[in-house]
Amino acid sequence: MTIAIPATQPPRKYGIDFTKPVLYGFAAVLCVLIVLPLSWLFLYSLTDSKGALTLANFYRLFTESSFYDPLVTTFIIATTSAIVCCAVAAPMGWLVARTDLPFSGVIRALVTASFVTPPFLGAIAWELLAAPNSGLLNKIFRGITGAEPDVHLFNIYTIQGIIFVISCYTFPYVFVLVANSLDRTPGELEDASSILGGGRWYTARRITIPLVLPALLAGALVAFLQAMTLFGSPAILALPAGFHTMTTKIWSLFQYPPKPELAAAASLPLLVLTVFLLRAEHMILGRRGYSVVGGKYGAPRLIPLHSWRWVAFIICLLVLMLPVFLPYMALFNAAFSPVATTFLTFKNATLHNIQFVLFDLSAASLALKNTVILGTATATIGTMIAVVIAYVTARRAVTGWRVLGFLATAPIAIPGIVLGVGLFLSYTRPPFVLYGTLWILLIAFVTIALPSAYQQLQAAFRTIHPELEDASRILGATRLRSLWEITAPLLRTGVIATWCFIFVGVMRELSAAIILFTSETKVISVLIYDLNESGDLGAISVIGIGMLLITFAVVTAVNRIPGFGNVRFRN
Amino acid sequence: MASVELKGLTKRYGSAAVVDRISLHIEHGDLVCLLGPSGCGKTTTLRLIAGFVEPSEGEIYVGDRLISSPALTVPPERRNMSMIFQSYALWPHMTVAENIVYGLKLRKLARDVIAKKLDAILTTTQLAPLAQRYPGELSGGQQQRVALARALIVEPETLLLDEPLSNLDANLREEMRFEVRRLHDAYRYTTVYVTHDQSEAMTTADLICVMNGGKIEQAGSPEEIYNRPRSEFVARFIGSSNVLKGKGLDGGRVDFAGVALRCTGEAVVSGATTAVSVRPHDIALSAKPPQQTENVVPAIVVRQVFLGDSRDYMVEAKDGTQLRTLTAAEENIPQGSNVWLHLPPERCRALLG
Ligand SMILES: Nc1ncnc2c1ncn2[C@@H]1O[C@H](COP(=O)(O)OP(=O)(O)OP(=O)(O)O)[C@@H](O)[C@H]1O
Ligand SMILES: [Mg+2]
Repeated sequence: MTIAIPATQPPRKYGIDFTKPVLYGFAAVLCVLIVLPLSWLFLYSLTDSKGALTLANFYRLFTESSFYDPLVTTFIIATTSAIVCCAVAAPMGWLVARTDLPFSGVIRALVTASFVTPPFLGAIAWELLAAPNSGLLNKIFRGITGAEPDVHLFNIYTIQGIIFVISCYTFPYVFVLVANSLDRTPGELEDASSILGGGRWYTARRITIPLVLPALLAGALVAFLQAMTLFGSPAILALPAGFHTMTTKIWSLFQYPPKPELAAAASLPLLVLTVFLLRAEHMILGRRGYSVVGGKYGAPRLIPLHSWRWVAFIICLLVLMLPVFLPYMALFNAAFSPVATTFLTFKNATLHNIQFVLFDLSAASLALKNTVILGTATATIGTMIAVVIAYVTARRAVTGWRVLGFLATAPIAIPGIVLGVGLFLSYTRPPFVLYGTLWILLIAFVTIALPSAYQQLQAAFRTIHPELEDASRILGATRLRSLWEITAPLLRTGVIATWCFIFVGVMRELSAAIILFTSETKVISVLIYDLNESGDLGAISVIGIGMLLITFAVVTAVNRIPGFGNVRFRN
Repeated sequence: MASVELKGLTKRYGSAAVVDRISLHIEHGDLVCLLGPSGCGKTTTLRLIAGFVEPSEGEIYVGDRLISSPALTVPPERRNMSMIFQSYALWPHMTVAENIVYGLKLRKLARDVIAKKLDAILTTTQLAPLAQRYPGELSGGQQQRVALARALIVEPETLLLDEPLSNLDANLREEMRFEVRRLHDAYRYTTVYVTHDQSEAMTTADLICVMNGGKIEQAGSPEEIYNRPRSEFVARFIGSSNVLKGKGLDGGRVDFAGVALRCTGEAVVSGATTAVSVRPHDIALSAKPPQQTENVVPAIVVRQVFLGDSRDYMVEAKDGTQLRTLTAAEENIPQGSNVWLHLPPERCRALLG
C-alpha cells in the first residue's frame, strides 16, 4: 500500500446549513398543531357567545347541576376504575412475572388482546351480553332459572356497568407497568434478602412489593386518566342510562344548538387534570421506570405455587373471560346470527350481516374509504415528522433539539375530545376553514399519533449507535449518503412498525373524530358509533371483527421487533 | 506531507471548556497517544480532528491546509482520514467484505482494483475465511480486525483510534497493541491514538500527551513522561510516584520534614509550597543511618508486604507523609522500626506548582 496523495482542495463551507430551517420549520408546524387549538380553547372558554370576555362559562360549569353532575360522575368512574384495575392487574402481574404460573405466556397474550381491543367495541360487545332484556347472559340466566322476561341479572346501562367495562379495557395499562417493573427487578435483589435470612413471603413483603409500588401507583394514575378521557364507552352505556360524563357532556354541547364556549370551558378541567396526572406519573416513575437495568443479572427466581398453580391459572383465565372471551364470542355470535342477540346455531347461521356491510350499507364504503385515506396519510405524514424529530433529538443534531422533543410529546397531555374541540374552534373560521373536510381529521390524527410514534422511533434510533454513521462519514460519505446507506436500512423495521401502529390507531380513534366528522367525512369508528345508535349490532360485529383481525395481525408482527413490545394506544 | 497541527484548539459546551486551548504538532508518520482519565476530553479532541465537532476556538491544519476553525469546518468525508471507533461501528447489515470495501466503493475504484485490495487486506488481517460473515457472528478480536481493515484499506493520511482495545480481554489486548504498532510502522500514516491505559500508551506511542481537564499537561516521549514528569498529575497518573510536599528553599532545594532535599526538574521558587515526585524503586531504604547525609530522610515503617522478588514498604516521615518504597526481598525490617531513606537528588523531581 502507498500513502495516498493528499487531496488539496481549498477548504470551503460545504452547501448551505439546512439544519436551522429544518428546526424552525418543524417547530412551527408543531406549534400550529398544538398551540393553535389550545389557544382557541382558552379564548373561547373565557368569552360569551357574542365574544365578550367573561368568566360566566366557568361559573355555570361549577354551579349548574347539568355540568357538575357529569364532573362528579366522571370522578367516581375514574377513581373506581383505577382501584378496580389495580386490584386486578397487580396480583395478575405478580403471578405472571414472579411465580411458576403455568402458561404465563398465554395470560400475557390475552392481556395484550384486551389491551388492543377498541374500548367502544368492548362496550358494544357488553351491550350484547348484559343489556337488561336482550343481553345474552340475562337470557341464559332466565333460561336456567325460568325467571320472568322482565327479570335480569345484569344491567350494563348503569354506573357500575360503565366502571366494569372501562376497567376491562384499562387494566392492561396497570398490568404492563407492574409486570415490566417486576421483570426488570433483578433476582439478585431478592436473593440478597434471602441470604440474610428473609423467607420468601418476608422478602416479597419487604423487597419486591416496595420495588413495584411506584409502578403500581403510576399505573393507577394512567388508569384514572384513561377512564376520565374515554368517550366511546360512556357514550354507548351512559347515554341510554340517562346520565353524562364529562366527555359525553362536551360532545352533547356540540349537538344542535352548539355551545362552543361551554364546550371549551368544560374541556379545560380535563386538560389541566391530564397534564397534572402525567407530571405525577413522570415524577413517580422518575428515570427508573423507563430505563432498562444494565449489568448481568440472573433471571428472577420464581416462587413455587405448588398446588395453587392451576387454581391461580384458572382464576386468571376466568378474569380474562370478561374482557376477551365473552365479548369476542358475543361479537362472533352477533355477526353470524340473524338477530344480534339470538343464540347462534347451525340452523340459523347466516352471512346476511357480512353481505349487508359489504354491499348494502352505503355509509360503510364511504367510511372505509375515508379511513383508508386518513390512515395512510396520517401514518405517512406522522411517521415522516416523527422520524425527523427523533433523528434530531437522538443525535442532538441542532441546538434546540429539546424543544422539538418536548413539542412532539406534548399532545399526549391533550385528551382526544379536548383536541377535537380545540380543532373545531380553530378551523371553522377563516383563514383556515377546514371543518367538513378530511384535512381537519388528518390534523387531529397526526397530532394524536405523534407522541407515541416519536417515542418509538427515538427508541429505534437509540439502538443505532451514532458511531455507525460517523464511520461511514470518515470514510468519505456525505451526511445524506450515510443516512441513506447506513441508518435507513437499520431503521426500516422500526419505521414500518410505526407506520402500522399509526394506521391501526387511526382506525380506532373515536373521541376526536366524533367532534370533527361530517356526513361526508365519516370514518369507521364513527360509523360504528352511528350503527350502535340505530341498533345495527350485527353490522357492527362484522366491522369490529375485521378491525380486531387487522389489529392482531399488526401487533403480532410488530411484537417480534425488539424494543417495540411496549406500545401504548391512545383511546 | 500530512503533519497535523492543533493551534489553541478549544471546545466549549455551554460555558464549560471540554477541550481547553490545546496546541500540538504531530509529525507525519508519528504515532501520538492522547492519554488521560475518563472525561478529560480525549474523545472530543479526536472528534475535533476528525471534523465531527466544530471548534469554538483555534485551528487545525493538515500540512498547510486549514481544515478546522470556528468559521469553517471541512466535513469528515473530505479529510482523507480514517477512524476506528470505540464501539468498532461495524455495520450490522453488511458482511465483513462489504464493510471493508465500503470506503473504496465511495472512491469509485474499479471493481478489480477493489477485489485485489480486499484480498490483500483480508490476508494481512487474517480475515479471509470470515469475509462473508456478518459482524454479529464474529468474536471481539475479529470485529476489531475488521474495523482495522476497514479503516486501513482506504490508505488514509491520518488514522484516528478511540480506545480501540478497550473492549478486548487482556491477552488479546496485548496482542492487538503490537498489531497496531506493526501496521503503523508498515504504512507510516500519522496516527492519533486515544486511551486511558498508560501501559498501552507506553508500548505503542512515539509521543504521549497526558491530558487532564481538557488541557495537555505534558507531551513527550514515553521515557520523558515517565522519568521527567512535570506536574503532580502526570507523576501520579504515569506509574505511581510518591509526591512530597514541602517549602521551596534557595538553590533548588525543598524543605521536606526538616530535610533540605536537593531536587532536579522545575525551578523551585523560594518560599512557595512545592511538590516533589520520587518513584518507589528509586528510594534506598536502610535500617542504619547511612554515611552520607544529603537527601536522607528518617522515617518509621508503617507496614511491609513480601512480594516474592521484592518487598513493598510503606513508611512514614516525621511530618506524617507516607511514602512507598521497594527493597530487595531479603531486607526484612519489622513494623515500627526506624529507617533512613535516601532520595537520590537526580530522581527527586520538583513539579510545577
Ligand atoms: N455533546 C456534548 N455536550 C455536552 N458535554 C459534552 C458533550 N460531549 C462531551 N461532553 C463532555 O465533555 C467531557 C469530555 O468528554 P470526552 O468524551 O471527550 O471524554 P473522554 O476523555 O473521551 O472520556 P472517556 O475516557 O470516558 O471516553 C465530558 O465531561 C463530557 O461530559
Ligand atoms: Mg472517550
